[in-house]
Amino acid sequence: MKVIVPVAAGAALLLIGGAATGLRGQDSSTFIVESPTMTTGRFMPRDYSPDGRNLSPPLTWSGLPTGTRQLAVISQDYGAGRPPPWVHWIIYNIPATSGGLPEGVPFDPDHPMPAGIAGAVQGNNGWGLPAYRGPAPPVGSVHHYHFQVFALDDELDLPPGLDRDGLLSAIDGHVIGQGDMVTLYERQPMNLFPR
Amino acid sequence: MTDSKGRRSAISRRDLLKTAGAAGAAALVPGAVAGVNEEKQPTPIPVGPLTNLTANETEILSAMVDRLIPTDELGPGALDAGVLRFIDRALSEAESDAADAYRTGLAALDAYSQYTRGGPFVDLSTTDQDSVLIDVQIGAATGAGVGFAGSSGSFFNMVKSHTWQGMFGDPQYGGNTNFVGWDLINYPGLRLGVTPEDQERLEADQLEPLRRSAYDLGIFQ
Repeated sequence: MKVIVPVAAGAALLLIGGAATGLRGQDSSTFIVESPTMTTGRFMPRDYSPDGRNLSPPLTWSGLPTGTRQLAVISQDYGAGRPPPWVHWIIYNIPATSGGLPEGVPFDPDHPMPAGIAGAVQGNNGWGLPAYRGPAPPVGSVHHYHFQVFALDDELDLPPGLDRDGLLSAIDGHVIGQGDMVTLYERQPMNLFPR
Repeated sequence: MTDSKGRRSAISRRDLLKTAGAAGAAALVPGAVAGVNEEKQPTPIPVGPLTNLTANETEILSAMVDRLIPTDELGPGALDAGVLRFIDRALSEAESDAADAYRTGLAALDAYSQYTRGGPFVDLSTTDQDSVLIDVQIGAATGAGVGFAGSSGSFFNMVKSHTWQGMFGDPQYGGNTNFVGWDLINYPGLRLGVTPEDQERLEADQLEPLRRSAYDLGIFQ
């Protein structure tokens, strides 16, 4: 039986995730991160996982701090990785005017980004791939997935392929706001969840 | 990277060639676009039946190696080089222990494609084929309960390794047809001696390649 974590629990995880980035001493406000297809504290659709098409999910944000010039997103699982977190997705150089990310961001580095996020590039995830790869926790376990968004005070235009540490180091001192959305996933293997 | 048929490759040719020879290097650079419904092109089918795989298994393997090293603007791909023939022959000889791993892995690959992308692997768009292969490579397909024996990544790495061997190995073993693999990486050919003039021509990229197998040389016979 799946356990639905209340939204309040998701909010608590937001604070944990924010504290684990290592960004210190910055005057940073919070803003709202949402998704038209996912709900905070609820299970995400399987098409955002390797039990489905493994598309990157759409995100939207609102209430960005004044002076936001670019954004960066890290999707990560603090319940996996040695050491945690396991990084599923890194994307940055996102224009401040974007309003969010569309579903299915290209996983080909040579393919242009959609018009709304032109200029954005992807960093290397935990598998070393510059692309989104969705949740693949051990069968039978529920994991929490953060979509953490950073508002930056400058157009840093960072090179593609940065890993998590590289991105956090590059944006250190430029973060003027943070938002986080936490969703859940449990694998749905074919032998247990036939279509 | 887009090939001559308008298809996109699962591994960029440039990155493959940079690492072709680096044992264990998993240099997969995804070459397709999520969510884009590209027009499906027919997958070339090898001439003649294979000995160790069924027609359906051959079709799936054909589509897989065609994504690993596609024919594109830089030159021939795995199918042109006879990689299928190389693998089939290896399964009869030095790699006979891998025959079951191929049958199990190819069936699991197809089941995974059907479960997650809604169709057999050979019928998927090249975008979805690439996405499937990435999930198989990183082991994410393992937990989908589709029948991979162990990690799906082990199956991917086995096929990738054999594909590279068939593409760039000595033609004596059934692949590298007409030395297309060696030509692709500008391999000057097997030489028992290199003169100073040869070295100068090599560095000037003017050395005419010797297209011959090691087994054409008397000392190896």
